[in-house]
Amino acid sequence: MQYVIIGNGIAGVNAAEAIRRMDPDGRILMIGDEPLLPYCRPMISMVLEGSVPLAKLPIRPASFYDDCKIEPILGNRVTGLDVDAGRVDVNGKRVAYDKLLIAAGADPRPIRAEGLGLGNIAYMRTEAHVRRMLAALDGGARRALVLGGGLVGFKAAYGLMCRGLAVTMLIRSGYPLSMQVDAFAGGMILDTLTAHGLDVRVDIAAEVFEGKDTVEAARLSDGSRLDCDLVVIGKGVLPALDFVPRDRIEVDLGLVVDLFLQTSAPNVYAAGDAAESIDVARQTRWVNAIWPEAAAQGKVAGINMAGRTVPYERSLSRNVIRIFDLDVMTAGVVDPQMITGTEVITRFDPATRRYRQLVFQEDRLVGMTLVNAIEQGGVLMALIQNRIPVAGRRERLLAPGFNYRAVA
Amino acid sequence: MKQVVVHPERCVGCMQCQVACAVAHSEAKQLVPALFESPRPRSRIHVGAGQYNEGFPNRCRHCDPAPCLLACLPGAITRVADTATVMINVDTCINCASCAMACPFGVIRYHEDRSAQAGKTVAVKCDNCLARQREGGIPACVETCLSGALTFETLDAAYKRQTDAVARSVSALAAAEDLAPGWALLNAHKKARLELLTSPAPSDE
Repeated sequence: MQYVIIGNGIAGVNAAEAIRRMDPDGRILMIGDEPLLPYCRPMISMVLEGSVPLAKLPIRPASFYDDCKIEPILGNRVTGLDVDAGRVDVNGKRVAYDKLLIAAGADPRPIRAEGLGLGNIAYMRTEAHVRRMLAALDGGARRALVLGGGLVGFKAAYGLMCRGLAVTMLIRSGYPLSMQVDAFAGGMILDTLTAHGLDVRVDIAAEVFEGKDTVEAARLSDGSRLDCDLVVIGKGVLPALDFVPRDRIEVDLGLVVDLFLQTSAPNVYAAGDAAESIDVARQTRWVNAIWPEAAAQGKVAGINMAGRTVPYERSLSRNVIRIFDLDVMTAGVVDPQMITGTEVITRFDPATRRYRQLVFQEDRLVGMTLVNAIEQGGVLMALIQNRIPVAGRRERLLAPGFNYRAVA
Repeated sequence: MKQVVVHPERCVGCMQCQVACAVAHSEAKQLVPALFESPRPRSRIHVGAGQYNEGFPNRCRHCDPAPCLLACLPGAITRVADTATVMINVDTCINCASCAMACPFGVIRYHEDRSAQAGKTVAVKCDNCLARQREGGIPACVETCLSGALTFETLDAAYKRQTDAVARSVSALAAAEDLAPGWALLNAHKKARLELLTSPAPSDE
């Protein structure tokens, strides 16, 4: 059996390990664009912030490929996929597969602006990107401009503030993380960041970047000009599927997969940021481009590829972030308008700055936003992910601690 | 291999296990001096309220597969196979709370700990008292539990007891064994009292 895995991120790694456990003799080829050991992508923001050194990024030892008898093909992207012949093209070579996993991940959503070729303008997605930003910091960058108030833009802004830079953030919605948290929690986050010196500008975009070699200023859509010597673009990600023949494999935003993480093409599976499966809370197809999803999907995809049939029905958007003195954990539906028939309960305690919003649909919990006292948030997450009916009084779930009485 | 087995129906909520756990993870291993240590030792077992206000000793289940292990960003969580223990490496832990989001039992806490570098907040949870076990001891929570709500035994033995009880319960002729003599009465009393107090709608208190 010849397994080919596109992507050496966490989905690909977990898939390879699952396959190797079940099939000691099969041949595993792993194609990765980044010529590195598998590393922890979410931790690049902590490297930027300075709390984690670059050396701590790898998630597997240097002997990983040997240990799992994986043949790595690193440094190039897949350029073609022929599902009839069962082969992928990479770096001018053709690689045949019996089972293929597309765990190619996602790329930063590009922006349109003039002068993007200047130095010190970076996306924030890869180890190379964060190295570039660290180099800019070493070069004496003092004023940063962050585009986008989603998770990436937000983490970039936070990291650069921790490094002592003056940061301006341009966002479309009224508060950062509008896809991740509700308006109240968003307001708490915005207040905290503003109190620490973040300059947030709403409904505004950068149109032109100016400078000689490196960026020196940005001209904004309201006609104003902003001095900056570092620009970080964090406008979300798009699945990296350029090589996928869309007439042969069903692609929506991501590769559409069934319960067993198989795509519409035979023997082709997908997992991680490139895959689109049914979201538990929304009960509709969704790309949940987050690390824990990729980790879980990769593992299940690998098991299915190796011949055991295991369904994956737990896809759920979720995040946990610590910023200054705020801990934020969210999962599932945060905007009750997003689905029908929701009921929302909230509690805010100004003294402890604890906040909870819980979204119910009929007798199920489908979403949560927790600010502070997040330690036991995993219990609520499990209620959402396993679609467990909540019979007791719902308000009990708003208490910061958790007792099993609350769900009885 | 012996493991800690929890019998919530026997728990009276005395919280002695919490004290014993904190002391077991202190420098001094004795209650009074432990109180003056910095960082102050904290329990890794958390007694909460069960369905009828009976005690519920909540501790790490050392799941297999463990969701926290799969979710850990820096790879700080590993399984020690020969003791069926899921361990957190405090040097690798980055306090990101990814494990809090993954743990369906809510048993992980974040604070300074004697085992970690001074001033560093880390994820802390039950370690099955591996240090005590290496010295021939048993987990501190079990040692201190007087009501039998926590036992240290092989899972085979625990399963067999339950299976036997189920087998006996299907025969009307066989005398039903009271799994938790006394406690069943106590719990029945608590349940009845709670229902009286809280009808029609149950409340938090």
